Amino acid sequence: MGLFVFLPLVLPLTAWPIARLAEQHLHPRRATRLLAWLSAVMAVCSTLSLALIMVVGTAQLPHNPLPDGWSDPEVREAVPYDEVAGAAAIPALTTVTVLGTATLWRHHRVRRRAARALDHLPRRPVAVVRDVRPYAYALPGRPDRVVASTGMLARLDSAERRALFAHERVHLTARHHRYLLTTRLAARTNPFLRPLHHAVAFGAERWADEEAARLLGDRRLMARAVGKAALAGPRSPGPTIAALAAPGPVPRRIAALLEPPPAPAAWPALWTATGLAAWTAAAGTTVSALASANSAFALITLLHAATPL
Amino acid sequence: MRKGCQVTDHRRPARRRGQGELEAQVLLALRQAPGPVSAAWVRERLGGDLAHTTVLTILTRLLAKNAVSRERVSRAFLWRCTADEAGLAARRMRHLLDGEADREAVLARFVTSLTAEDERLVRELLNETDEGPEG
Repeated sequence: MGLFVFLPLVLPLTAWPIARLAEQHLHPRRATRLLAWLSAVMAVCSTLSLALIMVVGTAQLPHNPLPDGWSDPEVREAVPYDEVAGAAAIPALTTVTVLGTATLWRHHRVRRRAARALDHLPRRPVAVVRDVRPYAYALPGRPDRVVASTGMLARLDSAERRALFAHERVHLTARHHRYLLTTRLAARTNPFLRPLHHAVAFGAERWADEEAARLLGDRRLMARAVGKAALAGPRSPGPTIAALAAPGPVPRRIAALLEPPPAPAAWPALWTATGLAAWTAAAGTTVSALASANSAFALITLLHAATPL
Repeated sequence: MRKGCQVTDHRRPARRRGQGELEAQVLLALRQAPGPVSAAWVRERLGGDLAHTTVLTILTRLLAKNAVSRERVSRAFLWRCTADEAGLAARRMRHLLDGEADREAVLARFVTSLTAEDERLVRELLNETDEGPEG
């Protein structure tokens, strides 16, 4: 299997251009789904190859519990630089496992605590909490709820409140938290996948904006609600060098809403920038998957042969 | 009281609890009290594993936040909860939002915070819409 076993670890890099271009050219619904899937497949492949490298690496260690045959020279030759790579793969896979578990655990803890915070409010789709700080969240659970503070609602007129609730309902009905959790876990397994997580997070907001604007029949209203809600909230420190200050997610969302609605997505032609990026990413994912499958198959065959039965 | 039966928290055995969580539990206990009650009653209600002074400290802190009020009856104070359910939920929610670094991953927030440059852009963009930011 040779160097192929390392490919899935670096191929997530091919997804970077598409994360950028998908935002600019694809309908947010399609972009979000595509990027989430890409991210999931690449994370699985990357973890699989890490596990394969680790098996070979562990077999070299003294007193390891694996069959002795697994440290035979022909097995070791399967992974190039098996000593370094194998030794590095053990802490790497441990880290991935720990981070992944922690992410899942925290996810459920936040959901549980948020649900408990609202325990005593009427079990309606909208929970209004009396707080001067402006915030609004979509909280998946049973039942799905939109949480809005009185501080937030006070800054919006009734039409804008409808826009806010419509937006949050889209998050809930389209199960956006699953996309977010998937890409977050993926970003934990391979740091190269982090840009995809940010792209999916932004894509989900755009998706909710677009769908809510369509339901309301008013894009400007949606834009105004987003803008006023953001102006009501706190400020975060920006980059100190002005030239680096790319517009943040909120201005980009508003600007997109002030444009005509995005075309309901046909696949982009090959010879455009988007097309090229899409095909690069598709190729990257395919090669990544094939390389993992190939390595896994090769190694399992090898280990099977090396195991005394 | 209808809401009272949904609560199971205060019957749990002793374990470490954060300040915010304790405040929330004290408030909940006061909400469920038949009327103004003593700190000893609150302590009993929370399972009795807290020191009396701890309960008093929490009550005093809640008093400073106007979440509870007290009246002197003979030599002791009787406490009552002044916040309603929406206020209590806000308190718990705020505690969660302040305490969880990962909340953004779970709770899809309507808007993220703006940088100074973003703020300028947003105001400009809103001016393009009919009514503007103050509209």
